[in-house]
Amino acid sequence: MKNTIKIIASLFLLFVFTASVAKGQDWNVPASAKNKQNPYEASTKNISSGKKIYNINCKSCHGDAGMGNMLPLQPVAPSDLGSQAFLIQGDGEIYYKINKGQGAMPTFEKTLSDEDKWMVITYLRSFDKNKKESKQVAEVVNPEVSDVNLVLDINNEEKKINANLSGVTEKGDRVALQGIELSIKVKRSFGYLDISGDDAYTNEKGNVTIQFPADLPGDREGHVNLLVKVTDDAYYGEVSVDRISSIGLPTDPVNPLDERAMWGTRANAPIWIILSYVGGVISIWGVIFLVLFQLIQLPKMAKNKE
Amino acid sequence: MNDLPEQKETNLSFEKIKKDILRPMQNHKGLELWIAFLLTVLSVCAWAYYVQLRDGLGVTGMRDYVSWGLYIANFVFFVAVSLVGMLISSILGLLRIDWITPISRIAEIIAVAFVAVAGLVIVMDMGRPDRVINVMIHGRFQSPILWDVTVITTYLTISLLLLILPMIPDLAICKKELKKTSPILKKVYNILSFGYINTPSQHKHLHKMIRTLMILIVPVGLAIHTVTSWLFASTLRNGWDTTILGPYFVAGAFVAGAAALIVGMYFFRVNYKLQDYITDLHFDKMGKLMVAVCLVYLYFNLNEFLVPGYKMKTGDDIHLKELFTGHWAIMFWSSQLLGNIIPIILLVTKKFRKPLPIMIISLFILAGAWVKRYVIVIPTLLHPHLPIQNVPENFVNYSPSAIEISVTVFSFALALLIITVLAKIFPVVPICETADNKGIKYKIEA
Repeated sequence: MKNTIKIIASLFLLFVFTASVAKGQDWNVPASAKNKQNPYEASTKNISSGKKIYNINCKSCHGDAGMGNMLPLQPVAPSDLGSQAFLIQGDGEIYYKINKGQGAMPTFEKTLSDEDKWMVITYLRSFDKNKKESKQVAEVVNPEVSDVNLVLDINNEEKKINANLSGVTEKGDRVALQGIELSIKVKRSFGYLDISGDDAYTNEKGNVTIQFPADLPGDREGHVNLLVKVTDDAYYGEVSVDRISSIGLPTDPVNPLDERAMWGTRANAPIWIILSYVGGVISIWGVIFLVLFQLIQLPKMAKNKE
Repeated sequence: MNDLPEQKETNLSFEKIKKDILRPMQNHKGLELWIAFLLTVLSVCAWAYYVQLRDGLGVTGMRDYVSWGLYIANFVFFVAVSLVGMLISSILGLLRIDWITPISRIAEIIAVAFVAVAGLVIVMDMGRPDRVINVMIHGRFQSPILWDVTVITTYLTISLLLLILPMIPDLAICKKELKKTSPILKKVYNILSFGYINTPSQHKHLHKMIRTLMILIVPVGLAIHTVTSWLFASTLRNGWDTTILGPYFVAGAFVAGAAALIVGMYFFRVNYKLQDYITDLHFDKMGKLMVAVCLVYLYFNLNEFLVPGYKMKTGDDIHLKELFTGHWAIMFWSSQLLGNIIPIILLVTKKFRKPLPIMIISLFILAGAWVKRYVIVIPTLLHPHLPIQNVPENFVNYSPSAIEISVTVFSFALALLIITVLAKIFPVVPICETADNKGIKYKIEA
């Protein structure tokens, strides 16, 4: 009996799941949506920010674009979005699919902004072999290396951060790794602020140099927590280095609870409100007690009649 | 003093006043039954409160969205009704309007009962009432809650004094006349009459005290309702975030208080057979007063709803649409029409100012006033500026639980019981002031 229920339940689940996934196959994209054009140009900056958005929102199922390492879902695995078979469709069609979703593909209509969606499409289009005019994401022409090393060099006077990425080849030489995107981040109260700028790809010497923003506040001594990492873990695994450096603007943090204010604790109530309260209570209750005092005198007055 | 026949005649009248007013205090059949009924209701509903105390506020319908539910609506209503004490005995009293004499004590009794219960309602709304004293110990001067607790206590004290002080001559009469009463009551009359024998100096002294209190209660009475409105108005919530909420509440309180007084007057007149004292004239005058305060309240309502309704600011729009045509429309419009506009139209005609019609109209006004408070408190809470994601269904739909309704019944029954007991042990119509008013001379013997 128990087994029957289990079998029925699994069959039911299978049916529901299959139905929902299978539905994802026949996309029905209206002609008007197909005609939509990507308003953003295929600049390095746009491709790079599209890649970041892709890594956060798409990669968990679709895998790395062009690498075919998507999640092996049944019965239909997600497409490799960097493959030519996918990129044959127009920008408007991809845009529509991101927006609406179907089956196992969720909708991103509300979760991603229009700009974000077009950035992702720009990024994907950089894999398109038919689009001659589009710039390719900086090709990695590095040799196979091990022991990848990220070295930070910080110039406190000029507030410049230099990061160097290198690895050891099979022959045992340490060589610079070129064309790899780095992320340079500063820790703030809620998460990290990205200060990498538009073009944080390592040059032929493996270097990325960025200017630390002059107005970015640190603590009292100007200390800030820096985190530099290789943006895409797919190349060498997670390569990152963090450092506390005094290149921030020294600031004296003000605790808003220290001043007398309406939002303060009782001890920090504004003087005028304490005075109004205490003054009001004393004057009103003073009169009440005065009346009570007069009331006690009433019986005595009965004696000294006229 | 030297004209003997005149003296005799006036003495007789004073005797009659005394007899008429003291009679219901000595024997009044049916009163025991009424008190027994109230006590039964109270004990049943006390069990509901015990359940709430034992299991916590989860037994109420209040959740994260509506954290001020039925109880706070009741609180605002009780505070509103209690303002009648200030309206009648203080404002009209200071203006030396003398027709209020026979009804001023009923007004004070209602004020004392309702403000006492209002304070209690707040305690009953607390999950941990044992921590109520923390408001005083740790209360912030910036918070209207500390001001509210202070001002309610103060208003209760002054109202009690304004009930007792003008009653001192009457209590001196009670002490002498009510020989068959219980020893405890005799002691109460003895203490509270403060050895008053109506010497000129005592008379002058007493009236000076009363006048002081009558002036003192005006700012405190205004404060009690203004501070209660600040509990709402000092937030940024739609519907509460308005500058006129203070005077709006005061105007609404005059309406609710006057209605409660008319209902009280009617029941005391009929049950205590006081037709000679609480006359048709009093109902007529109260009817005119009611039209006046209702018109002021209508004017404030116009400002409160027409101006934001014209602008329909984001946030306000949801709130106002819910009130005008949405979920709360029936409650909102019935409170406006039955509790304000129709009473104004009816009470303009003289025949509706007769005792029975005006009492029925006042019941509608009272019910409308209560519904109005409910509509002020709850709809605003249902639309927070930062809604919770995937919020459970019972957060966005508030309806009071059986426990809450029982505790509400408890507070109303308690207010009625306080009024009943006060009206049983104290004369509901001032004996000496009535005599003073009619120019009857009297003596109070020690």
